[in-house]
Amino acid sequence: MRLAFILSEIGSGLRRNLTMVISVILVTFISLTFVGAAGMLQLQINQMKGYWYDKVQVAIFLCSEGSAAAGCASGPVTEEQQKNLEALLRSPAVAQYINEFQFESKEDAYGHFKEQFSNSPIVDSVAPDQLPASFRINMKDPEKYQIISETFASQPGVESVIDQRKILEQLFSVMNGASVVAVVIAAVMIVCAILLIATTIRLSAFSRRRETGIMRLVGASKTVIQLPFILEGVIAALIGAALASGTLWAVSYFFLGDLSKQFQDTPFISPSQTLVLVPALFALGVILAGISSLLTLRRYLRV
Amino acid sequence: MPTCCGAIRAMIRFENVTKVYDRKARPALDSITLEIDRGEFAFLVGASGSGKSTFLRLVLKEDRATSGAVYVAGQNVANISSWRVPRLRRGIGVVFQDFRLLPQKNVFANVAFAMQVIGKSRSVIRSTVPEVLKTVGLEGKEHRMPHELSGGEQQRVAIARAVVNRPGILLADEPTGNLDPTTSMGIMGVLDKINQNGTTVVMATHDDDIVNEMRKRVVELRNGVVIRDEAKALYTSMIPVVGQSRRLKDASGLDDLVGPERVSQDGTSSGEAMQ
Ligand SMILES: Nc1ncnc2c1ncn2[C@@H]1O[C@H](COP(=O)(O)OP(=O)(O)OP(=O)(O)O)[C@@H](O)[C@H]1O
Ligand SMILES: [Mg+2]
Repeated sequence: MRLAFILSEIGSGLRRNLTMVISVILVTFISLTFVGAAGMLQLQINQMKGYWYDKVQVAIFLCSEGSAAAGCASGPVTEEQQKNLEALLRSPAVAQYINEFQFESKEDAYGHFKEQFSNSPIVDSVAPDQLPASFRINMKDPEKYQIISETFASQPGVESVIDQRKILEQLFSVMNGASVVAVVIAAVMIVCAILLIATTIRLSAFSRRRETGIMRLVGASKTVIQLPFILEGVIAALIGAALASGTLWAVSYFFLGDLSKQFQDTPFISPSQTLVLVPALFALGVILAGISSLLTLRRYLRV
Repeated sequence: MPTCCGAIRAMIRFENVTKVYDRKARPALDSITLEIDRGEFAFLVGASGSGKSTFLRLVLKEDRATSGAVYVAGQNVANISSWRVPRLRRGIGVVFQDFRLLPQKNVFANVAFAMQVIGKSRSVIRSTVPEVLKTVGLEGKEHRMPHELSGGEQQRVAIARAVVNRPGILLADEPTGNLDPTTSMGIMGVLDKINQNGTTVVMATHDDDIVNEMRKRVVELRNGVVIRDEAKALYTSMIPVVGQSRRLKDASGLDDLVGPERVSQDGTSSGEAMQ
């Protein structure tokens, strides 16, 4: 009975304040979309970092079949060459710059590759043989990359020495910048959403002051009086969150889908990966509606 | 708590209750001590601003006494935590001068509302509401909207709503203030009936005809002080104070009916700015 009563109260409240409710939905929709966009950028950055990015800075790729590099003229790296390189890495002259290093075999490389490009068609066209083995080096000081490069580039069996960070860092800084912008916009929009929800609840409380006054007088509990108002805000925020989630999914499905066809050598997040953001957006929507309604009701709906 | 034994006799008890709204003004209630017993019918009279509504608000815990203690059904309301105030209010019905009905709801729904919000089941509501509407003389009008009712009928709906949860106390703040004398007497009949059923009734009023007709206990306030507390009394004291007939309002048109009770002994103009 009481539940049915509260539900009907919510219904009439939503109908009475329809325009305000729509604006709450839109504002939470926009703000949560920006939050989600920031989240997606971070997911994308993680995806592009792949397995090694956070662990090492420099990769020494070894010659494999068909390497065109000058150092690989004598064919793929031999076991002896590989042993020599490892010995060189352990020699004091080099070791002083290195925290640690790891050897990535062709098979390991293929495993990591498959993981990183799981959403990309390219994965089917690459065989384990085509990927080079490598030494992955974690530098004490990443700025000393030059020393490693000079030492190893000309060694037999080495195809190339690459400072991975250099390549991606600039892109990541742009993407990080974009996520900061998204977060700032989201923050401003969230403030708007909170204020708007507060105003909506205030209006709603005002337009129903007769009912709530009578409810107080006949001894309705605080819950019965306040819950419809809180739930009104929460429902509007949840609809906003649903719209934002739908938008993010559509962006990853259509936009990133297109991009991954254009840039086959870049790993993109998949639509299903963006779904991890959905619970967060819903939770955030509920929290901001909850906070703003609690603050408002304390002032405007004395019991 | 009262140091008594067994059932509590006093339904409402004020002990040296003072209420100050505004430190610069005089207290709205000034050290009032008063008991209203279970099943009693008491009128609260006095000029505008004398503190009648304040008295009722303190009983409801709508406001807190500045000093002193208010007991309702033996319980000091100051000790009732805010989440249990609703329970206090379920034991008290309230009626106002302006009816306070919900305009979009019909008679039945207005009365049912008071039961819905405290979680009464549909079947209980369906059996109780018609019964209460009959008590207040509104049978057959369940489906009327408030705007289709006369003032007196609207007040009956409000009374039905106030008593539908069977409160032990009914507070009425000028319930006949907007009604003509005949209609007012009808309302008084309803209140009397409710009182006969065991509900303690406290009614603040300016309506001298009613008070004189009913011959119930009269508590007269002036400037927040009880200046008279008489059983089976009239609106004004039997000792007339001549030459001061201050009437704030008179909708009855019976002004030419001058009797001793017409002459207010309240000669001061205190609180006249109020209202
Ligand atoms: N909320 C309030 N804030 C400040 N002062 C108030 C408040 N309510 C009442 N007062 C003051 O308290 C005094 C008593 O007011 P109260 O409403 O109890 O009088 P009353 O006897 O009910 O008058 P009336 O017959 O006009 O209804 C008045 O002087 C009034 O100005
Ligand atoms: Mg009053």
